[in-house]
Amino acid sequence: MPDPIVRVEDVGLRFDKFTALDGVSLSVETGQCIVICGPSGSGKSTLLRCINGLERFQAGEVFVDGVRVRDNTDLPKLRRGIGMVFQHFELYPHMTVLENITLAPIRAKGVPRAQAEKLARDYLERVGIADQADKYPGRLSGGQQQRAAIARALALEPKVMLFDEPTSALDPEMIAEVLYVMRDLARGGMTMLVVTHEMGFAREVADEVIFMDRGRVVERSGVKEFFTAPRADRTKEFLNKILVKF
Amino acid sequence: MDWKVVAANYPLLLKGLLTSLQLTFVAIAFSLPLGCLIAIGRLSHRTWLSRACTAFVNVLRSNPLILILFWFYFLIPLITGQSVNDLTSIIIAFVVFFSVYFAEIVRSGIQSVGNRQIQAGLSTGLTYAQTMRFIVLPQAIRAMMPALITQCIVVFQGTTVVYVIGYSELLHTTSMIAERTVRPVEMYLAVAAIYFVVCYSASLLARRFEKGRA
Repeated sequence: MPDPIVRVEDVGLRFDKFTALDGVSLSVETGQCIVICGPSGSGKSTLLRCINGLERFQAGEVFVDGVRVRDNTDLPKLRRGIGMVFQHFELYPHMTVLENITLAPIRAKGVPRAQAEKLARDYLERVGIADQADKYPGRLSGGQQQRAAIARALALEPKVMLFDEPTSALDPEMIAEVLYVMRDLARGGMTMLVVTHEMGFAREVADEVIFMDRGRVVERSGVKEFFTAPRADRTKEFLNKILVKF
Repeated sequence: MDWKVVAANYPLLLKGLLTSLQLTFVAIAFSLPLGCLIAIGRLSHRTWLSRACTAFVNVLRSNPLILILFWFYFLIPLITGQSVNDLTSIIIAFVVFFSVYFAEIVRSGIQSVGNRQIQAGLSTGLTYAQTMRFIVLPQAIRAMMPALITQCIVVFQGTTVVYVIGYSELLHTTSMIAERTVRPVEMYLAVAAIYFVVCYSASLLARRFEKGRA
């Protein structure tokens, strides 16, 4: 069995007196799509941010593609291999969509401009907004902005993609178009770690679901098992709350 | 009222205005970059650097410009035992004094961009310096343009303090003419008009930037 692409070992993180992560361990194999869910404040987003070194954790270890994150002296290099998509898109408002996408390839990876632009247009095509390349983010709908942000992350040609509640800030009618792009990515073999409350997406696309609460991993299981036969009481309670019964 | 005195001394006034503007431009040209460095220092995670910059800002902001000018004009030559050229001490005093005001404007401009944009930049593998240069500063500069222009007006008005050491900028020139011609009312009204025109046009520019953002 090959080494997992992301390995989180017993990670602990405290902010003053609040324990954000309390001994979290998980691993993601290449090509897997794993959904992390749980109530707000359970540490899901914090966990993602520990994986690409945006958050410093005090205990445990994280390895991405065998590279140690803690005490890493070249975080930019590490992050070039990890795409991240944020809840509020975080496109750069003073740059066009195309410039948003080419900035990191050109400046961080040294890709020639012409090649970077070609790559950017390819990814915009892939997320279905090739015609928006020269507009400023403010001119795009929320769904288009998030797809542009996904293209920006993809343009790094990352080994793994982290999604931090990518649809939580979107109007309902725009959620579908973003989920469609993500499903397409997962089916294309992209390794994905997705924090989301979209249980429909989890059921359809994820290989495994992780349930977190109060900074701990409560349950990790295959999709079918997670939804039909959750082991932990806390998971059952959570699922009962969020799964609307008709 | 006899406005001929103003017309007769027009070249002198113009020369005074030019001197004031030159002082203003040189002061801004050095204090703005220095202000940027201080702002970045204040925002730094290195506690000692952040504290040092904060202390510098607080000390300078708690003193009047004229006192800072005295410091550099009278005290530094006394302490070092070396005579310092008038213009040099004026410029140093202005740069030191105004840099902290620019620093505060730049700092709030940078903070207005927000941490999430920085994290987005970092997450794509840009270094912190690149994130600052390509993502934060361009947005911050747009946000702080109106305040920066307003501060430049304050610098221009501040150049009048060199009056006390007899440096011939616009106000000092005017007072000399007023004394010589015994026409203080006309001269001081005329100079007020000049200050108004310069400052008000600059503030109109600031307003345009403000509108451009909305």
